Amino acid sequence: MNRELEKLISLHDLDIMISDLVNKDIFKQEKKLGLSPDLAAAKLRNMRDKLFLTIGRKHRDIYDQLSGHYGNAVVPVINLLCSGCFTQLPTAFCASQDRNDQVETCPSCGRFIYWCD
Amino acid sequence: MERQCLCKWNMSSKNWKSAISELLKEFSFKKTTENLLQTALETRELADPTVIHEDIAIPHCRSILVDGFKIIIGKSNSGIPWPKEKVKVIILFITPVKQSGPTEHMELIKHLAKALRSGGAEKILSAGSPAEAASILKFSYEGKPENE
Repeated sequence: MNRELEKLISLHDLDIMISDLVNKDIFKQEKKLGLSPDLAAAKLRNMRDKLFLTIGRKHRDIYDQLSGHYGNAVVPVINLLCSGCFTQLPTAFCASQDRNDQVETCPSCGRFIYWCD
Repeated sequence: MERQCLCKWNMSSKNWKSAISELLKEFSFKKTTENLLQTALETRELADPTVIHEDIAIPHCRSILVDGFKIIIGKSNSGIPWPKEKVKVIILFITPVKQSGPTEHMELIKHLAKALRSGGAEKILSAGSPAEAASILKFSYEGKPENE
């Protein structure tokens, strides 16, 4: 898999982790379990910022725009559909053997897409 | 909660990173997915170790890399440093990212908190088989014969 694409997926997962930890219901449940979601969220933000800076500027900017617009910037392709906008991707687009070897975006919604293993 | 789980009994890992890896291998993900999930779970642990109760850790995350709930209970007789305190039971779970938001993830955390309260944690630490451990957490065990 393309290294930049891996970083974008990790960034997306980190953003989800952070938003979960500040979600008041999850925060409450994690506290009940004896965890420290506030501390974890602060440290994850730090890690997120560091990872963000290792991604190329062009992709960073697109990621920010997409996250702001849709709430999710990276989505898997499922059954040849972009799982963000559910548009069928062109067959030629999906035919390549090394589909995750470059950063691709959905031609319809612009989200970063990757093919599940 | 009708969720299925895997179990890994007699874990051989000696540290928390390899324990996560040992458990992830049980799902038979492809290499890239496994590596990315390992990174996500390690990142969460580095931010704040998920040791709950004495002897139990719950590494967990939500990820776009899974399309369904992935739950596995691991047990180590000698204990695994996490990273300092040793844990004997690991409940690792990964929940999918859905448009409906994190509700199901929250429900699973709530379910575990409830199951581990009032004696549940002690029961799972002394569980004698994978099926028993799964039933204490009210999961159904999708067993592998070699783990029995």
